[in-house]
Amino acid sequence: MKAVAAVVVFVIVTLLLRSTALTALAARGVVIDVLAFATVVWAMRHGESGGTTFGFVLGIAADLDAAHWMGRHALLLALLGYTVGRLSHTLVRDSARTQCVLLFLATVVHQTWAAAFEFGGVQAWPHLLQRVILAGVATAPLGTLLLGILRRVSGQSLFSHAALPTRTAT
Amino acid sequence: MGGILPPAERHSSALLGVFAAISLLLLVMGDRLPTSGLRGLGAWIFTPLDRVVLFVDRMAAAWRENRVLHARLAELELENQHLRSAGVENQQLREHLDLPPWPNLNLRPVEVLALTGEPIPTAAILSAGSRQNVHVGDAAVTDAGLLGRIGEAYPNQSRVVLLTDPNSAVACEVESTGVLGVLRFAFSPRPRLLLSGVPNSDTVRVGQRVLTSGLSRRYPRGIPVGVVRSLGRDPSGLMQEVEVAPAAEISRLRHGFVIPQTEPVRGMP
Repeated sequence: MKAVAAVVVFVIVTLLLRSTALTALAARGVVIDVLAFATVVWAMRHGESGGTTFGFVLGIAADLDAAHWMGRHALLLALLGYTVGRLSHTLVRDSARTQCVLLFLATVVHQTWAAAFEFGGVQAWPHLLQRVILAGVATAPLGTLLLGILRRVSGQSLFSHAALPTRTAT
Repeated sequence: MGGILPPAERHSSALLGVFAAISLLLLVMGDRLPTSGLRGLGAWIFTPLDRVVLFVDRMAAAWRENRVLHARLAELELENQHLRSAGVENQQLREHLDLPPWPNLNLRPVEVLALTGEPIPTAAILSAGSRQNVHVGDAAVTDAGLLGRIGEAYPNQSRVVLLTDPNSAVACEVESTGVLGVLRFAFSPRPRLLLSGVPNSDTVRVGQRVLTSGLSRRYPRGIPVGVVRSLGRDPSGLMQEVEVAPAAEISRLRHGFVIPQTEPVRGMP
């Protein structure tokens, strides 16, 4: 029950941010892909089952909001949640570099997939490429920074099962 | 494969399979599902949260806008005096020419609560719905120009299909020359508003204003839509490709107005 409530709250916060605070930035061409960010963070924290479920629920909600092409966000975010969840067993999840790379890749894949439904023809590729790269470049460092701040504020690892090995004094 | 993977991974793989199948099913037939009710429920849940998130932004903007609007009000008062006399003259001339009178637009103020769509918003949630006499098909505008039309009306909220929705089409005319065309949003090769169906023989110039023509009867005539930004040829070479810069700042919407449809128009498909 607690897990369901957490998923619902996180989904609502994500969609709220997407439809209010981030729309002005997105309309200027800088998409902060909060859907990919939330899915990656959830999957890193809760593994592949949690990541898949969260990605699917978040995707369905985003699809309903968009009113076109139902299922496009749900499919990809579920896949992203699963993949990141699987990878998180072998990666050092508290490493900023890992987080940055995962967020960049997730954003690029998600944006390419979402844009593929909107853009048609080879002539749209330059704009598509620009949008996807800009989104990746904006989301990955910002997301990593946010995770770093959250880690500092909470004073503990966000992804407790794979903390970085602490340096011991020699 | 099920026998090779450990139980936890089998469970997650099965979960992914189920979710992927549902998503694919939705992709194929999702557009036929009645999702309007769910969106209405979503709008109802999100409305108070949107207001909380937007509160600080709106307060700061209101402070700035208040100063600008005071100056603008004084300017408009003067301009209004001039327009009143011009309006009386116009009405008398239309009567002499047996032309129908211009309709008086009844504006209903609304708040824009949320925008949908990345990177270009394609829909907006408004703070008024069917209980406030906002109906499907009503035009939505800002002080700068046309936003779109109400696509779904919930009890206390409504959803505007913006000009930037790929399914939106607005019958327009170029001011002063009367050149007619249909305004649509195109994603390729880059997102932009295009006035289509303008023959090469028609004269259109960069900087001219584009208004609703009233020919489709979905929108009243004379609402500003945008300004001609650039001209080109469409791929067939038979028509002009007129790019239009929208008059309304679609990326930064706070308030707007709904114009109710006139009675004969309501109920049109």
